[in-house]
Amino acid sequence: MDVPGILHADLDAFYAAVAVLEDPSLAGKPVAVGSGVVLSCTYEAREFGVRGGMRVVDARARCPQLILVDGTFGAYSNYSKTVFGIFERYTPLVEPLSIDEAFLDVTGSIHLFGSPREICDRIRNDVRTETGLAVSVGATTRKFLSKIASQVAKPDGVIVVEPGGEDAFLHPLPVSYLWGVGPVTKKKLNTFGIQTIGDIANTPDDSLVAMLGSGAAGHMGALARNQDPRAISRTRKAKSIGAQSAVRSQRRDLDDIVPILHRLTDRVAARLRKKDMAARTVTIRIRFGDLSAVTRSATMQTPTASTQAIVDLATKLVKKVLDEFPKHEISLVGISTSGLGVDEPLQLALGVDDIALGGSPKELEYEALDSSVDELRRKFGRDAISHGSDLLSERSSFGDGLSEVMTPDERLVEAGDGGPQYIDFDDDET
Amino acid sequence: MRIRAERDDLADVLVRASRAVGTRSPLPILQGVLCDVVGGKLTVTGTDNEVTVRTYLDVEVTEEGKTVIPAKLAAEAVRKLPPGAVTLASVDGEVEIIGSGPRFKLREMMVDDYPKISDADTTDAVSVDGTGLIKALAQVGVAASGDDARPTLTGVLFEAVDDGLRLVATDSYRLAVKDVPGVSAEGSKLVPYRALRELGRTVGAGTMQVALGEREAAFVTDHGRLTVRVIDSTFPNYRQLLPEGHANRLTLDKGALLEAVGRAALVAEDHIPVRLAMHSGGVELSVIRQEVGEATELLEGEYIGEDMTIAFNTRYLTDGVNAVNDEAVVIETSDPLKPGLLHGADENDFRYLLMPVRL
Repeated sequence: MDVPGILHADLDAFYAAVAVLEDPSLAGKPVAVGSGVVLSCTYEAREFGVRGGMRVVDARARCPQLILVDGTFGAYSNYSKTVFGIFERYTPLVEPLSIDEAFLDVTGSIHLFGSPREICDRIRNDVRTETGLAVSVGATTRKFLSKIASQVAKPDGVIVVEPGGEDAFLHPLPVSYLWGVGPVTKKKLNTFGIQTIGDIANTPDDSLVAMLGSGAAGHMGALARNQDPRAISRTRKAKSIGAQSAVRSQRRDLDDIVPILHRLTDRVAARLRKKDMAARTVTIRIRFGDLSAVTRSATMQTPTASTQAIVDLATKLVKKVLDEFPKHEISLVGISTSGLGVDEPLQLALGVDDIALGGSPKELEYEALDSSVDELRRKFGRDAISHGSDLLSERSSFGDGLSEVMTPDERLVEAGDGGPQYIDFDDDET
Repeated sequence: MRIRAERDDLADVLVRASRAVGTRSPLPILQGVLCDVVGGKLTVTGTDNEVTVRTYLDVEVTEEGKTVIPAKLAAEAVRKLPPGAVTLASVDGEVEIIGSGPRFKLREMMVDDYPKISDADTTDAVSVDGTGLIKALAQVGVAASGDDARPTLTGVLFEAVDDGLRLVATDSYRLAVKDVPGVSAEGSKLVPYRALRELGRTVGAGTMQVALGEREAAFVTDHGRLTVRVIDSTFPNYRQLLPEGHANRLTLDKGALLEAVGRAALVAEDHIPVRLAMHSGGVELSVIRQEVGEATELLEGEYIGEDMTIAFNTRYLTDGVNAVNDEAVVIETSDPLKPGLLHGADENDFRYLLMPVRL
């Protein structure tokens, strides 16, 4: 590859920017989206030190005139679709990462639209004139590098790194730009005198292993040396389907979380069923108030796409986590299904108990219920029918799709048929 | 403690007791076996706190006493000695295992740390033919679950019925029922199959005393005793799962069926079933796996009923056919989505109910 044809396009402060577009009187003011926790904020608010993930109380302390608005998922989805439509004018190779960012491979489009830099400019111009949103773009020869470039380019900028110039761009940057370097790893690296990505590149592998452990060290060393062979994959076969929801950070009982699990699973399972898929493994992710997180998973002998069967298993897993961490506040709940099979034969089970495991009479009852619900929704829309607890749980969690408080690995998504619709778990590994 | 015994006899009691020792016990002391010498007798105890095996051996005693030694290591060490007499002695925190020439010294484990395990009460024990019981348990045991998340299903139900003992196991995909007539059992108890499968290799066959207590089940022979904590939960109501009758009846040669399913299983992965297209004159077995290929085979047999295709998991079907104790296997069916029933053509004491796979 001798052109910087791999683009990473990332909308600037997406949720806050949409809020301003929807209510122009907010323009130029410090605005934050969220309640309890700041999910996204305008650059005006950022000047006061307000950041995504911050508690609203703390944000207000820094910026008393902060204007707080609630998120509206419908509007986000519409803007996102328009933006992805623009991306697709310039290449069919668009790999959505979340509702507001994507990788684009424009290597094959250069003879149509000009150099990568010209394509970046055209995309940014189209997005601005057609939606009013600012999008920052990084263009390099590699995915991870483009993603870093777009972050450096923010706000409202573009950075093109020509082949051969990668090290000169990458090495002076602080280590925190590297994917996988959070506050803890950064601190650890800093204690060894490693401040920049160049420092990592110049550190021998075995020293890195001693500092970070073999998994993280190999991954980081490779990235720092500009090695990332991943291609843009538009038609990734889903390895997992999931959804997650940020919730106001506080201690919660199982009773508070089950409705959230139910609502998330309702959508996940419906998507499984839409694709004639069933899942063997259910993984739950709980993130605590201090942003540390745990995942727990369980694998069933027979796959299922039944909402209730998945909820039942997820509930057991969450209960274990709550028992294990009895005092922690919870700030995010996620569920993911994997071990996916398409239209597989189903081993039926005898009704030995009331557990809704795949193929059991109980699960088949739920399957019938699910298909009735799916049918009703197809005819009358998503909101035509809901589980009672779903309606209640919406009050205690943020709209799904609000991704800006999520860490990078939480933000990677699986592309839906009509563009990204939900914030999903990482299924980026192909 | 100091004793002398023949190598093979000593190895035997150590190996059998070691079978109860878990490989990943949370308590280090449970990696050991307790050797207790009283009178002229050595008693070796191994346990994982759920299953306990005790074995006995008459030995030449120089000094009575107790010691705890690493189970697997001690058993292997004795086995690897040259044939002949072996001396086992505990001296100053070490245990010496001395053959004619070679000599091992193993660090002794703390005798005081070893759990106090008293022998379960066997006054109400019933006497059974051990060989028959072990065979019967193997027949139903294939249907027991290995999934610790569903502990009830990991057990074999011992249930008293009119003319004897009934053994039942299910993992929810299949259910096996075996009647052992002439055993005067009482009540019903759920015993972990994990322990029962070790009966043959720990306490051996011959006449066996079986005592099913409130908390423990004990199986005692001249060779030793195995005790296991019973599962304290209610077994599914298996009677309502057994169908009243079946419309279709297919009879096949057991060996031929096993071979044919074995060939089909080559192509199938675990979740790809074998289809049985039944018609007068026999059955066509087929496996279709899109990315690999397919296998089909015609098996002659006797079929009474309407033409019907039903699919089964190859492993579950193989387990069931293997368990049948007859040269001719009968598969009774009524509907592609309802369970099939396997048993021998002349076998009235065993039934294997198998749920089909929905295609």
